[in-house]
Amino acid sequence: MITMTCDQIRDLAPAYVLGALERDEELAVAEHLRTCPDAHAELAELGGVVPYLDEVVPLVEPPASLRGRIMAAAVADLAARSGERAEAPIASPAPRPETGARQAPGTMGQVIPISAARSRRDRRSWVLGLAAVLAIVALGTWNIRTQQQLADAQSYQQRLAAALVQAGQPGSQVAVLASTGGPGPGPGGIAVMPANGAGILVVSGLAPTTGSQVYEAWTIAEGQPPAPVAGFTVGSDGIGYLDRMPTSTGQTLTVAITLEPAPNATAPSSTPVAAGVAAQRGVGG
Amino acid sequence: MSNIDASVRVRQPSPADDADREVLDRVAAGELDALDTLYDRYRTMAYSIALRITSDATLAEDVVQDAFLGAWRNAGRYSESRASVKTWLLAIVHHRAVDAVRRRRPTVELPEREDVPPPQLTLPDLWPEVAGRLDRDAVQGALRVLSDVQREAIELAYFGGLTQQEIAARTNAPLGTVKSRMRLGLLAMRRVLLGEVGAFAGLGPDEVAG
Repeated sequence: MITMTCDQIRDLAPAYVLGALERDEELAVAEHLRTCPDAHAELAELGGVVPYLDEVVPLVEPPASLRGRIMAAAVADLAARSGERAEAPIASPAPRPETGARQAPGTMGQVIPISAARSRRDRRSWVLGLAAVLAIVALGTWNIRTQQQLADAQSYQQRLAAALVQAGQPGSQVAVLASTGGPGPGPGGIAVMPANGAGILVVSGLAPTTGSQVYEAWTIAEGQPPAPVAGFTVGSDGIGYLDRMPTSTGQTLTVAITLEPAPNATAPSSTPVAAGVAAQRGVGG
Repeated sequence: MSNIDASVRVRQPSPADDADREVLDRVAAGELDALDTLYDRYRTMAYSIALRITSDATLAEDVVQDAFLGAWRNAGRYSESRASVKTWLLAIVHHRAVDAVRRRRPTVELPEREDVPPPQLTLPDLWPEVAGRLDRDAVQGALRVLSDVQREAIELAYFGGLTQQEIAARTNAPLGTVKSRMRLGLLAMRRVLLGEVGAFAGLGPDEVAG
């Protein structure tokens, strides 16, 4: 750290306000200003005009794609931030290798296996990459007209970000849920079964529930009947959310969502509207 | 001294300034649409400054992305700054753009650090309440009163990303001369622009600029 006298500050003032010092000198000036009893009015006298130099640059519009890049980076940053919060209190156990499980029959949707052998850094960048992709997709179709829609979109983004961060934790099993209704737009989302504690499910594009209707989430292990997880209702935003997904067992698991006429169904009454498979833990990706 | 006090005393946030602060508060709270709004307001200025400094469209895009992401992360620390939101944001753009061009030079070892505050953030804005009226013509007029060597020194510093030592080498002038050119040039611009402000505010230049 360079220390400077008041005389040196006065000498460097023109270069400082124009940004023409080396960065370590600049830091030394800022440090001096922070603690110096002298207000160094000469800096304001010289520097006050500097922002007006910006007014003379020839104006050029940035490419339209830059907005998406910046928004995607902000979403990824949001995901990383909530990840830091989530990681802090949890002592991650070493993932146990699981072998012998086979792919469940009737595979629906996409599979994203998360290898327990991958480094933490790899996982983080994988999550951020997916977050960025989803953000670009979301922004491309964003057509927000009301404050409520705005709040819905933000809430969805934040929940999605939370789910993506959880997906990046060591030992998490992840199912990407896709519509089972054939081609065209339909519900889609993500379900995470973490190594510890409760997981998150976020689905968008669901038809709103009416009356006593609920959507029920199910987990289906190979050779077992569907086990109910919990029910949730959906409003006009079409977004469903559960924060009670089970802890990962390490085995391949299908996650499915059905529309039920009433809560607390013990077996599905209809075919799933969306489903996906969470691969067994420890499968390389 | 008294002229500084006077100009700081007349500083009052403009309506645009207040609206910007509101947006920045929401950016600090992590609201994506607020970042989108901020981008809409300043994308053209930000990109134009980055392009002017880097002369490289790809690098300028990276700089703008970097700067808006910096604003996104550090919006909560804006209150420490004495500048308007516009100045704050564009100072970040300027700082990152200069870092980018300096990093491109093979001879320069630039420390990878983000903890150096851009100089403008340590200073108060002089006349944000009339910023909208100090237009391109007024600033270009102020630049025209400078001598060629003063203007060159200021442009190499602010838009060239050169350090004062590099300006001295580039212009074959002693370092002390470069310092004087920058100082006298900035003071001359200040006199002209404060004269304009005084006219706008219904004050004589003497009352504003001393």
